[in-house]
Amino acid sequence: MNLKAMRFSLAAILALGLCRAAVAAPPAESREAYDDFYCTTCHGADGRGNYGVQAPKLAGMEPWYLQRQLEKFRAGLRGTTLDDPAGLEMRAMAEKLSDASIAKLVDWVGQWPDVATAHTVEGDAAAGKALFTSCAACHGAQGQGNQQLGAPALAGQSDWYLLTQLQNFSHGYRGADPKDSEGQAMRAAVAVLPDEQAMRNVVSYINQFQRSAPVAARTTNTKE
Amino acid sequence: METFVSRRTLLQALGATLGTGALLAAGGALGMMPATAHASAIDTARLGRSKKRIAILGGGISGLTAAYELLRAGHEVTILEASHRAGGRVFTVRHGDLIDEIGNRQYCEFDDEPHMYFNAGAARIPSTHRNVLHYCQELGVELEIFINENKQAWVQDDAMLGGKPVRNGEYTTNLRGHMAELFAKFLKPEELDQPFTESELETLVAVIRNFGDLDEDMLYKGSVRAGYASGGFLKHGTHHPAIALKEILSTPVAPVALEANEGETGPILMQPVGGMDRIIHGFLDKVGNRVLYRAQVQAITLRDDGVTVQFEQGGTSRVLDVDYVFNCIPSHLLTGLQNNFPAEYVHALKHIRRGEAFKGAFQAKTRFWEKEDIYGGISWVNAPIRQIWYPPHGIHKARGVILGAYDFAHGIDFTDMSQAQRIEAMLAQGEKVHPNYRQQVEKGVTIAWHRMNHMLGCAARWTDSYRALNEEEERMMATLISPANGRHYLIGDQVALHVAWQESAILSAHRALDDFAARLGEAA
Repeated sequence: MNLKAMRFSLAAILALGLCRAAVAAPPAESREAYDDFYCTTCHGADGRGNYGVQAPKLAGMEPWYLQRQLEKFRAGLRGTTLDDPAGLEMRAMAEKLSDASIAKLVDWVGQWPDVATAHTVEGDAAAGKALFTSCAACHGAQGQGNQQLGAPALAGQSDWYLLTQLQNFSHGYRGADPKDSEGQAMRAAVAVLPDEQAMRNVVSYINQFQRSAPVAARTTNTKE
Repeated sequence: METFVSRRTLLQALGATLGTGALLAAGGALGMMPATAHASAIDTARLGRSKKRIAILGGGISGLTAAYELLRAGHEVTILEASHRAGGRVFTVRHGDLIDEIGNRQYCEFDDEPHMYFNAGAARIPSTHRNVLHYCQELGVELEIFINENKQAWVQDDAMLGGKPVRNGEYTTNLRGHMAELFAKFLKPEELDQPFTESELETLVAVIRNFGDLDEDMLYKGSVRAGYASGGFLKHGTHHPAIALKEILSTPVAPVALEANEGETGPILMQPVGGMDRIIHGFLDKVGNRVLYRAQVQAITLRDDGVTVQFEQGGTSRVLDVDYVFNCIPSHLLTGLQNNFPAEYVHALKHIRRGEAFKGAFQAKTRFWEKEDIYGGISWVNAPIRQIWYPPHGIHKARGVILGAYDFAHGIDFTDMSQAQRIEAMLAQGEKVHPNYRQQVEKGVTIAWHRMNHMLGCAARWTDSYRALNEEEERMMATLISPANGRHYLIGDQVALHVAWQESAILSAHRALDDFAARLGEAA
C-alpha cells in the first residue's frame, strides 16, 4: 500500500540521528517497521510508572539494576506465575530482547528525568522505621541503594510497587529460583515483615526518603 | 455425590432465575442505549457556532467519530494516534499486517486476497446499532449479512457423548425437546398463577408441544429438526435417536445454547464487505490528513483557557496547544501520563480496570467446513478456544480465514504461551471438532488484546460482572463523563456501561459533542 510505504519512510527518516536505535529491518515488502522501544506504553511517559497497569517507575532506576532485571525476566527467573500477572507481561516482552537491545533500552531509560511519585500506601512510618533497620544493611540508611551489594535504591520508587514486590517475595512469586541469588537473599530478608501491615509500615517509612538525583553509580555494564 | 432435587425445588429455582433475568432486562442492562433510540442527530451548525482548536487523543472509533463531526463543523482538528494504525479495537488483519502485541509481534501471512481477512476485534453490527449503521451509510461502507448462529455448526465437549461433536441443531433440538417435556409434565392448571380457560390451556399445550416437537403423548422422542441420520430427499428421512437429557446437560454450553441467536447477537447482524476496518477507512477518507501516527501523548495540562498536550513522535517531543480535547486513550494508560487532572478524576480513572480477551485465526487451505454443510456461524467448544467462527463471506472460494479461538472472558489461558504454543493449543482443541483440522489450516495469527501495544486492554471493566454501578461508582462515572475543567472530554466505550460495541463508543462521542456544543452556545 502506498500509504503504508509512505509512513514507513517517514518513520525511517524520523529515526535518523535520534537517540533511538534504527528500526528493525522489515522484510522485503514495505511492512510496518518496529523496534524494541515499548517501555513507555506500560511504564508511562518517560517511565514515570503507571498504577493503571501495575508498571513501576523506571525513571531514575540504576542502569545496572535495570539491566539485571531485564536479564532475569528474559531467563525466566521472574514473572513465571499467574499470581504475578504484571511479571508475566514483563517476561513476555523481555524474552524477545537481545543483549544489544537491553543495552539500548537501558541507555534510553537513563535519559528520562526522575520525577517524584505520589504516595498511595498508608502505614505507620514510625513502626516502619524500626523494621527498616535490617533493610538498611543492604539498601542503605536512606534507601539509596548499594551496587556493590546488588541492592537497588528504594527511595523514590512507586510505593504500591514496593508493596507488591514485598508480597511477591513473601509468597515466593519472586526470588524462589536458586539461580536468582539476589532474589533468594531478598526472599529470606522479607521474613522480618510478618504481615501486610508490617510491609505497609516499612513502605510508609521509605516514602519519607528523598531520592538524590541523579542516582549514584549511573554507569552501565553495556555489552558491546 | 449427586443430590436430586424435588419438583417443587426445581420450580422455585426456575422462578428465581427467570425473575432475576427479567429484573436485569428491565433494569436497563443496556445502559445508554434505550431500545427506542434513533441515530443521534448531530446539528453541524450548532456544533460549529464558533471555531476552536481541538486535539483528539487516540484514533479509535470514538475519536474518529468526534474528529469527523468536529472537522465537518469547521473546527481545527488534530488527531494523535500512538500506534502505526488507526481504529483501536476495530482491527482487520490481512496479508502483511503487523500485529503489534508486546512480546508477540507478528506479520500476517494470509494470501493477499480481498476475502482473506480476520476481524480481530469488532466483528458484528446488530441492526439496532443505528449510529454505526448511520455512519456506514454516510461514509459509503458497503454491508453484508453476518451469520452468528448456524444450526449446522458444532457443539463439542469432552464430557458429552464421549467428546464426539454434535450439530448445534441436534443439540438445541434435544435441549428444547427435553425442556418441553418437563414443562408439559409440570403443567397443572391449579399451579398456574392465573386461572386459564380451557382454550387458553389448549393453546399453551400446543405451544409447548411445538417448542420441543413432542409426540402426541407429550414426550420427546427425537425430531426432524435435529437433522436426518439418513435419507430426506429420494426417501423419507430417519431421525437421529434422542440424546439423553443427562448428556445434554453435561456441557456448560447448555445454558447459553439457546441464547446465541437472541438479543444483540440475534438476527439481523451485519459486517462491512471486505473487513470491519472499512468503517475506519471511511472515517479516514474524511479526516485522515489530520492524523499524526506513532504520536504518543506524554502530558496533558489543563489550563483555564484550554489544554496543552505534549507528545512524542519519532524521538522528538512536541507541544500542541488547543482549546479542547476529546480523549479516547484507555483509562489505564492515561494514569501513566503526566497530567494535572483533579484528584477525583484520577481516582476514577484508576478504578476502571482493563479487560482481557484473546482471538486467533488461521488461513484454511480449503473451505472444509462447507463440505460439512457449514456456511457461516459459530461452533461452541468447551475448551479455552471456546468458539470456531466460519466466515460468511467468500463462499465457495478456494480458501478462507477461519477464526480458531475467541476467549472473550479472560484469554489468560493463551496469554502466557509462546506463539507456537498458542497455535498448537488452537490446533489440538480445534481438531476435536474437525478431525482433519491440523492438515487443513496454516499461517495462524493470534492476538491477546490486553497485550497490544498502546492499548493493553480489551473492553474496560467497571465491575466484576454486569451488575449495576454502586453509588461510589456512579459518582466516578459522572466525574469522568463531565469534561475536566470544562475542556477535556473522556470518550470511548470506557465511559459506557455496555462496553465492547462500536455503538457505545460512538454514542459516548456524541454525548461529549452535545455538551461541547452547549458550551459553545454559552460562550457566544
